[in-house]
Amino acid sequence: MGLCHGTLTAIPSGPLLDHRTLHNGSSLVTASMPDAALTCLDFWCRGGSAWEHQGEEGIAHFLEHMVFKGSHALGPGEFDRRIEALGGSSNAATGFDDVHFHVLVPAQEAGEALNLLLDLVLDPALDQDCFDMERDVVLEEIAQYSDQPDDQVLQTALELCLAPHAYGRPILGWESSLRGMNPQGMKTYHQRRYRGGNCCLSLAGNLQADLIKQVLDSPLMELERSAAVSSTAHTNSLPFQCGRESRRFQRLEAARLLMIWPVAAAADQRAIAGADLATTVLAEGRRSRLVERLREDLQIVETIDMDVTTLEQGSLVMLEACCPEEQLEAVEQEVHRQLQRTLSEPVTAEEFDRALQLVGNGHRFSLEAPSAVAASVGTQTLWGRHRDLLAPLDDLTRWDAAALSTGVMPLLQPQKAFTLIARPEEAA
Amino acid sequence: MNPRSDLVLDPVVTPGVLSAKLWIRRGSGCDQQGQRGGHQLLGSVLSRGCGPLDHLQLADLVEGCGAGLRCDTHEDGILISLKCRDLDADRLLPAVGWMVRQPHLSEGQIALERELSLQALQRQREDPFHRAFDGWRQMAYGHGPYGHDPLGIAQDLEQLSRPQLQGLAQDLESEGAVLALSGAIPADASERLQEWFGPITSQSPGDQAKANDAPADDASSDEGDRPSISVQPLATEQVVLMLGQASLPHGHPDDLALRLLQAHLGSGMSSLLFRRLREEHGVAYDVGVHHPARAGAAPFVMHASTGVDRAALTLELLMASWTELLEDCIDAADLHLAAAKFRGHLAHASQTTGQRAERRAQLRGLGLPDQHDQQCLQQLETLQASDLLAAAQRHLQTPQLSLCGPSDTLATLERFWMQNPLAGTPG
Repeated sequence: MGLCHGTLTAIPSGPLLDHRTLHNGSSLVTASMPDAALTCLDFWCRGGSAWEHQGEEGIAHFLEHMVFKGSHALGPGEFDRRIEALGGSSNAATGFDDVHFHVLVPAQEAGEALNLLLDLVLDPALDQDCFDMERDVVLEEIAQYSDQPDDQVLQTALELCLAPHAYGRPILGWESSLRGMNPQGMKTYHQRRYRGGNCCLSLAGNLQADLIKQVLDSPLMELERSAAVSSTAHTNSLPFQCGRESRRFQRLEAARLLMIWPVAAAADQRAIAGADLATTVLAEGRRSRLVERLREDLQIVETIDMDVTTLEQGSLVMLEACCPEEQLEAVEQEVHRQLQRTLSEPVTAEEFDRALQLVGNGHRFSLEAPSAVAASVGTQTLWGRHRDLLAPLDDLTRWDAAALSTGVMPLLQPQKAFTLIARPEEAA
Repeated sequence: MNPRSDLVLDPVVTPGVLSAKLWIRRGSGCDQQGQRGGHQLLGSVLSRGCGPLDHLQLADLVEGCGAGLRCDTHEDGILISLKCRDLDADRLLPAVGWMVRQPHLSEGQIALERELSLQALQRQREDPFHRAFDGWRQMAYGHGPYGHDPLGIAQDLEQLSRPQLQGLAQDLESEGAVLALSGAIPADASERLQEWFGPITSQSPGDQAKANDAPADDASSDEGDRPSISVQPLATEQVVLMLGQASLPHGHPDDLALRLLQAHLGSGMSSLLFRRLREEHGVAYDVGVHHPARAGAAPFVMHASTGVDRAALTLELLMASWTELLEDCIDAADLHLAAAKFRGHLAHASQTTGQRAERRAQLRGLGLPDQHDQQCLQQLETLQASDLLAAAQRHLQTPQLSLCGPSDTLATLERFWMQNPLAGTPG
């Protein structure tokens, strides 16, 4: 069966972007999608867990919870009620590098939603009673994650290869650090991080004519001025520890092989594209090297996949294989063999074209919904990368099979990884 | 395709994206006893060789186009999903037809998928939410069509081989199928689809089975013997609580009322359970109501997870919330809010071509009109709080409780539950 295309051709245009830097250093980016029924408002801040000081572990995520407990103008629960009464929804997520709060509403309601969102995020009440109650909720969230063996395996691996760096500790923090927090400390963190140059508002969807003018009259303009610095690192600066550990985990029903490699920081978008292509050659689809060999031919894994986690201080490539415990040794050996094989048997043109189509279409397919577009342009703009939505497709075309073989595959070798072997707990 | 199969075309302006969804009205609910998991296993091997292509040639075609092709088996049907660029539709859409009409069902590929399914079943047990729901499902549906995970039951899966799958494959189109295309649809789609799939119609479903005639609207095999509690002891930090009842088919006259109750109880951060459990008592992080659209009696299940020291309070709050459904009308503001959430949900759920195509295929798959959602929006205008109360009283009288967590806590909760009127003998 032949391949479809050697190059990414006939790329249709994506939503049009407009980038602005406001007088206080904050950013505004809009993505016009006139056919969308909904509009997404996505507020981004360089306020993820990597910005926490000692004793603040978990405060970025806890603050994300506290924001929804109300502002000085909005009582507890009022924001949710009003947004949902508009036919909208809201949510938030805290990462290592940043945090974002997003609202999805019918286009005609975007103006009201904008006022509500900015008031909530920029002027949180941080009331003591709510603080105490919400800390209990976060502790329940920690407990819920600790009951998921999959999450425990991943967190353990990150800690072993990255601690004491912030990427090596849980975003949710620890019970001990959370119990040491108070509203004043959280207010200090909010004032330290939620400043002009650290913030970006991303709007995507069917944008009403006066929405931008409304932003320019909003509390976003009143944020304390700070410089909009570009990305934190152009190269990986992580204190990464290679090695291999084996642990047993409670209630694990299948064994795991987890391998982690440090790769380029997010600022190097071409390198990230290369990592995406390489992991697709290796582990995306039935024809990828690892899936074809380990699942289809040898039939020793249930699943095997690889992902690139793009991070500002250095990204991570992760490989995870799930298999019966008795197959662990064979799985690890074969994974090593296949990774080493990439050095002696370079990526073929056919493999490269397959990966190019899969990664390219993955990006193209992500441009349908306003929320996905707002998130994509929001995070890029936040970190000073004012790029067109289709720029990632250009990054892909800057690679070829030979460059992938010599430029990326040598980075993904067993001796450069941290490996965690996770076994089910032995029966009592 | 079968004469009862039909086609829905939904052209949408996209960046060159096409989504195709083929809904086949044979899901895990059609698994026979002793063959539970059969339809899922069949679904998983449809793409492992069909028509002129073996499993690797098909992968070459699909992955070479950067497309996504998958097959998921649900309780009511098998859903084949294709997402691709419009430019590749001509090359890829025929494969969907081959999967249904000409699957190879080779022994080797069946053996591989059977083993993968068995391992997936085992791995699911890591998740206490999954264990709790499994317990609830077995209790609520017994040996009925919804009584097992679509993946199947290990002891049945182990016995499944080519002859059984051949039988299932022959019946695959016996109830008809629906093909829905959304996005950038090729100009000559109708003619080409006839060429690839055979005769298909594009009118609204008329003579097809209505949702509430579908199988499985009987919640359990024998209500009199139905237990009111299921416990799954597990050494976890939290206890997972699920309180619910097998309720109604999608499209039932009272379905909209239950969907509004779902929105009121569990949709968004303004929902009753979120406010009560999380904001007022801080006892749980993840709370909600699971109420999927089904051809038969769909689960209507409140769920929460909490630490052992607050598990009794959490159960008390869930039971109180359930009892209120049966005793009190929700106030006008809450009804208005629930209706707004329902409208919002419909808009949120039709943002991508994949979502749009799936909804259109699902509606026809369940024997509902294409305008079903619009009709619901019209009915919203006249629905009263008293209608919601009446629907709850008709369909939510006998909830069942499933728990997963440390055994001593479960024992305490079980005693507490058995003293509550909600735990009374059903029937």
